[in-house]
Amino acid sequence: MDYIQSIILGFQVALQWDNLLFCFIGVLIGTLVGVLPGLGPTAAISLLLPTTFHVTPVSAIIMLAGIYYGAMYGGSTTSILVNIPGEAASVVTCLDGYQMARKGRAGPALGISAFASFIAGTMGVIGLMLIAPPLAEMALKFGPPEYFSLMIMGLTILTFLASGPMWKALLMAAFGLFLGSIGLDSMTASARFTMDIVELSDGIGMVPAVMGLFGIAEVLLNVEHSIKRSVFETKILSLLPTLQDWKDSIWAIFRGTFIGFFLGVLPGGGAVISSFVSYAVEKKVSGSPEKFGTGMIQGVAGPEAANNAATGGAFIPLLTLGIPANSVMAILLGAMMIHGMQPGPMLIQEQPGLFWGAVTSMYIGNAMLLILNLPLIGLWVRILKVPYPILFPLILLFCLIGAYSLNNSVIEVLIMVGFGLLGYLFKKFEYEATPLILALVLGPMLEAALRRSLLLSAGSPLIFVTRPISGVLMLISFILLAYPLVPWLRRKREILPQVSDDE
Amino acid sequence: MAKFNNDQVSGAIWIAVGIAVALGSLRYGLGPLESPGTGFLPFLAGCAIVLLALIGLIQSTLKRRKGTGWTPILQGVLWQKPLLVMAALFAYALLMKPLGFILCTVLFIGFLLRTVEPQRWSVVIVGAIGTALGAFAIFDVWLKAQLPQGPWGF
Repeated sequence: MDYIQSIILGFQVALQWDNLLFCFIGVLIGTLVGVLPGLGPTAAISLLLPTTFHVTPVSAIIMLAGIYYGAMYGGSTTSILVNIPGEAASVVTCLDGYQMARKGRAGPALGISAFASFIAGTMGVIGLMLIAPPLAEMALKFGPPEYFSLMIMGLTILTFLASGPMWKALLMAAFGLFLGSIGLDSMTASARFTMDIVELSDGIGMVPAVMGLFGIAEVLLNVEHSIKRSVFETKILSLLPTLQDWKDSIWAIFRGTFIGFFLGVLPGGGAVISSFVSYAVEKKVSGSPEKFGTGMIQGVAGPEAANNAATGGAFIPLLTLGIPANSVMAILLGAMMIHGMQPGPMLIQEQPGLFWGAVTSMYIGNAMLLILNLPLIGLWVRILKVPYPILFPLILLFCLIGAYSLNNSVIEVLIMVGFGLLGYLFKKFEYEATPLILALVLGPMLEAALRRSLLLSAGSPLIFVTRPISGVLMLISFILLAYPLVPWLRRKREILPQVSDDE
Repeated sequence: MAKFNNDQVSGAIWIAVGIAVALGSLRYGLGPLESPGTGFLPFLAGCAIVLLALIGLIQSTLKRRKGTGWTPILQGVLWQKPLLVMAALFAYALLMKPLGFILCTVLFIGFLLRTVEPQRWSVVIVGAIGTALGAFAIFDVWLKAQLPQGPWGF
């Protein structure tokens, strides 16, 4: 099937009225989640996952994807108006966006971030359309050793990019692998670490773990302080950037798109890192780097483009290899499995309607977001004024309902609350939870690939380095792990952003 | 506690966790390398936890010698509030089946609104009842989530 036919098929699926509706609901909720600090897209998608059990798989994926890229749009609004990033990928937008608002240019800042997001999001989707099919074909050549090495590389990249000491990130990944091994052994069907609790036979659910680590823990941290938010009181006169604004930011948007897309593709990369890299690049190429942080429009346009393009890129490893690039993709992987689909190289061939429908819906969703964001900014600002003491009980209640309705089980709720406490302690002791989640999701796949590889090689671990693709992937992981021995490389890692990653 | 810094304390805890995981895995059998058993991967994970925590412990001990001490994790924050929230969450999990969704939710939301950052009673009552009924309407009636019913049928 060539591209044109595929795209037509995609639009036929995406333009069905129910899919349009779910796309709209997804981007609307996503924007809301992005606007509200303290509730990230990871937690929101986990929350809403159970509500998609009654709809078709295509509609479910369209809605959940909409939440993800919608949140990237919404996150910028709080960064610009309140100096509080709605989610982690919008942290850098605060730097120049808020300063623009203080100078009375909140309108153009919001406008350019919406346009940059639209342009980058659209180009990201086009990139996804072009790259995913050939990559999926290549991935058909992958055997268990290649999959194992690829997952190890994903985990290594994530730990390499995580903030804080690398031993902590690796330790979290190892702990995640252990948690992922709880439940029935997929090869022998014998129970492991289940403590005779029936609910644990299926393993620790990713949804309660994510909601606990990201949703509940975030609330616990927020209620420690009396949060008083002040929305910047300024009249937003015109949202349309001037011609000069466009001239200043158009190349920043293209550069941000390029950076975001390719960092998004890397397992473990993603929106947060790409927005920081884009900001750093803009500062470097600018003739007046000293003005960054005082309200430069490039400092808004570049990172906003990057974090949106990264969302398109992040779908590539999921849809072609079945490997999630970040925690949001991990939940989407779980969602697809719940709906009876196996993401991976065969997905495009076996379910072309689903693949192309989901991809083209992202294009439609981006257009919806542009329409949603510009006129509705007044509404988002009003929502921002809802005090946190009123908001947080609602966030907690949604988490509780979400966890319970997975299996109608109190055990899932208790697991989520337990992970909430764990996530709180992790934050206090400065451990990042993202590697844990990725390892928890990859754990069962990684174990199966490892054991099958060793069966193939009659117990020789050399199979991972003697097969060419696997060998290259292992080499990359090794180089990343060996970084502490190379001083200049270590310095580079230390200047990476020190942010908590809640993609 | 002041004798050690935060990473030393957490590193020591992780070593204990790693040992427990590795020992626990042995019960399931590691199997030969050409056909790894059920306990193989968790055993590797446990060993990795111990190894990494040891690296962390050594690094943090070196830092301790250079003067990096214990940073109080609850200083300057209203730690009672997360404690209240945790208590409410556990109570909700345990009471949602016996009390039913609506009553349990009214109590949960009301408790949080009144205790964590005390709101006026009118806000508490209207907020708690409104949220419980609204959530019931959305999740149970509309989305058919089958929320738990108390002895009184809701």
